[in-house]
Amino acid sequence: MEKSLVYLQGPDGKAVQAELWDDISAEHVAHWTDSWKPEIERFRQRLEKDGVAREKWPQDLHWDWSEKADATRTVLAYQRFALVCEGRLQGLMLVNLVTSTGRLAAQQGKPLVYIDFVSTAPWNRPDFCDKPRFVGVGSVLIRVAVELSRAEGFRGRIGLHSLSQAEKFYRKTCSMTDLGPDTGYYKLTYFEMTEAQATKFTSEPPKK
Amino acid sequence: MDVDYFHFLRLCYHYHLPPMTNKRTMTLNLSDAEMSALEVLAEKKDLNKTVVIRQALRLYQMVDQRMREGKKLFIEDELTKDKSELMFI
Repeated sequence: MEKSLVYLQGPDGKAVQAELWDDISAEHVAHWTDSWKPEIERFRQRLEKDGVAREKWPQDLHWDWSEKADATRTVLAYQRFALVCEGRLQGLMLVNLVTSTGRLAAQQGKPLVYIDFVSTAPWNRPDFCDKPRFVGVGSVLIRVAVELSRAEGFRGRIGLHSLSQAEKFYRKTCSMTDLGPDTGYYKLTYFEMTEAQATKFTSEPPKK
Repeated sequence: MDVDYFHFLRLCYHYHLPPMTNKRTMTLNLSDAEMSALEVLAEKKDLNKTVVIRQALRLYQMVDQRMREGKKLFIEDELTKDKSELMFI
């Protein structure tokens, strides 16, 4: 496994160095099990106790990264990434390099990096806590997908289906093209990034 | 004191992403027909020939794994919805 250095924004606004790993190791999965999972479970119990309607719950509460890591460990089509900062797991991403191709007319049928799943730790999420610990985990991971796409010769093209609660992030922060709900995939909104959008995204600070 | 909100993002642009595992090199001998097919695919998919081969390997491995799990691979005609099973040896 190899790592790169990236930066996240800490609670005081200062840059904090983080490690981006080019795979999800057994140690990362153990971190997820020991730190993320109990926090997600406590949050779920609080939502239940407070009588919050199910449709208002974060839509990714059920994602099991242990299962996802197991199912993709030996499959070359998948690439997995883990982001670690201050010794704690801050983000995870699983992408596929072969199952999807471009849908926008300008890149129809051309390969892209398809983001299957991307998650940030519960303590970094404004929907989980009042004061997120680190800002920028999602943006850094999307940038990683873009750079992977370039490194693979896909010219920065990426695509994904978004949960409705995350659509604003992909539309505004990442400036991806919204292709509308995909009736062939749980009616989730499909987003795509072109080569030009990727250039803009990686050369300018993302919009808030 | 003003906080530069995007400082961390500008900093991260200076680093090479993503981390890359070392690659190993091999020589591949192809017939004229195979090389021609490879070149056509590379042109169509806007990829270089090495990437086409790597994509083919990734796809072949994934399909092989699914079939070993007892799954079947079908090709569907988008218009007629006719399905035909793809047989792998």
